[in-house]
Amino acid sequence: MPTAARTYWLTSSCRIRRKDQSLLIEREHGDDVHIPITDVRDVIACKPIDVNTAVVSLLNQHSINVHMLSYYGDYAGSLAAADNATSGETVIAQVQLATDPEARTRIARDIVHATAFNVRRVIDRDLLAAPYKTLTASIKNATSSDELMGAEGTFRRSAWEVLDTKLPDWLQMHGRSRRPPRNAGNAFISYVNGIVYARVLTAVRLTPLYSGVAFLHSTMERQRHSLVLDLAEMFKPLFAERLLLRMASRNQLKEHHFDTDSNQAMLSDTGRKIVVAAVRDELAATVTHRELNRKVAYDELLYLEALRLTRTCLEGESYKPFRIWW
Amino acid sequence: MITNGDVGGVHIKYLHHCRRQLWLYARGLRPEALSTTVQLGEAVHATSYRRASPIDLGSARLDDLDGELWVHEIKSSSRPSSADEAQAIHYCYRLRKVGVQAQGAVLHYPKTRRTRRLPYAEEWDQRAQDDIAAVLDTVAAPTAPERLRRSACRGCSYYDYCWSL
Repeated sequence: MPTAARTYWLTSSCRIRRKDQSLLIEREHGDDVHIPITDVRDVIACKPIDVNTAVVSLLNQHSINVHMLSYYGDYAGSLAAADNATSGETVIAQVQLATDPEARTRIARDIVHATAFNVRRVIDRDLLAAPYKTLTASIKNATSSDELMGAEGTFRRSAWEVLDTKLPDWLQMHGRSRRPPRNAGNAFISYVNGIVYARVLTAVRLTPLYSGVAFLHSTMERQRHSLVLDLAEMFKPLFAERLLLRMASRNQLKEHHFDTDSNQAMLSDTGRKIVVAAVRDELAATVTHRELNRKVAYDELLYLEALRLTRTCLEGESYKPFRIWW
Repeated sequence: MITNGDVGGVHIKYLHHCRRQLWLYARGLRPEALSTTVQLGEAVHATSYRRASPIDLGSARLDDLDGELWVHEIKSSSRPSSADEAQAIHYCYRLRKVGVQAQGAVLHYPKTRRTRRLPYAEEWDQRAQDDIAAVLDTVAAPTAPERLRRSACRGCSYYDYCWSL
């Protein structure tokens, strides 16, 4: 998304008010902050916020989404601007593709394959070579989303185990657990995944695609935007696993950044700020795009991916999901 | 899909600029809001000729119509193009259809401070009708028209869509 506007991250509880064409952020502890509305692309609220109608109508005028993360850092919901980008033609094309079992399985298989490729690329190429080969073989003949998800689950389990070998004891995950995450490692992954999900939702809403109809995940699963789940899949390793490894090896994460009790863990206030800052900087990192011949931010990759899927729906081009190429 | 009456200035402009762009536009792809070029164009529009009063013809929207019935159209580019001309012709045609005897069009290029005056000519009606028919044909096509050469795509807000393979 090439414009100058940016994502705002609210890391402390606050009330958002409208002051003319600006947002006025009244923080519980700390000074008020004025933000001109044209500078905002979307807002991610990591702590509870208060809004009123005046704010919502201003956000709506500028098609700005506010994504809210829950207490545990899961995606809790969004204040979504009126859906003016969705177009009937594209949605019909998307639904036709999603209801055609063959096309649907093909896209789902490509997504699983690309995700596994990215996981392996990020964690360890050698140690994950065998599981990756198994996955490639088992998805070749898969005919349903369930089979594909199963194969992905098996691969992911090996990946989590390999990931544990590269983490300090206290940060090890011992398998993935959610709602609530059982330990610090899981809490970190959940948190970053929630942010990625929110950012992908913003990207999808900029395209005419409908976020409820998906290819890998079942449509409108648990009242979530399943298409966003599909697209976020390939990007989770790029942000979550990669940042966890990096921050662990740099000793940026400390035990006191997590509030842990016997069976659950979550980021503490300082921990959350560190993680959010790291993700924010990572989203702004750029890489040279091979076809566009210019630098694109990681953030923009999410949008380009949604555009690519739009083209698959509208023009029937084959869909090659995002793979880390650098 | 769209009908004769829905064809507006933007459709005509895209028809002359790039048929693929028109095809996508008609299918609801609107990446303009994200393009800095388009935002600049809007800013030029908003800060130039502020006494002009826009006229809404439903599908088409004129920048201004003066007392002598000349259509005024403000352009943010510095180079006149055939698309600008076609758009002006389309507006005159639409006005004459509703009984306003438009005298012609004036294209304003505030960036270079040039204007271009195009008096109404007999063959305009035919040209406008041909353009409308071409728009409807292009939009109704089942597949998207080919992409243009890359250099021609520079600055287009659909560039990312077309070229990020």
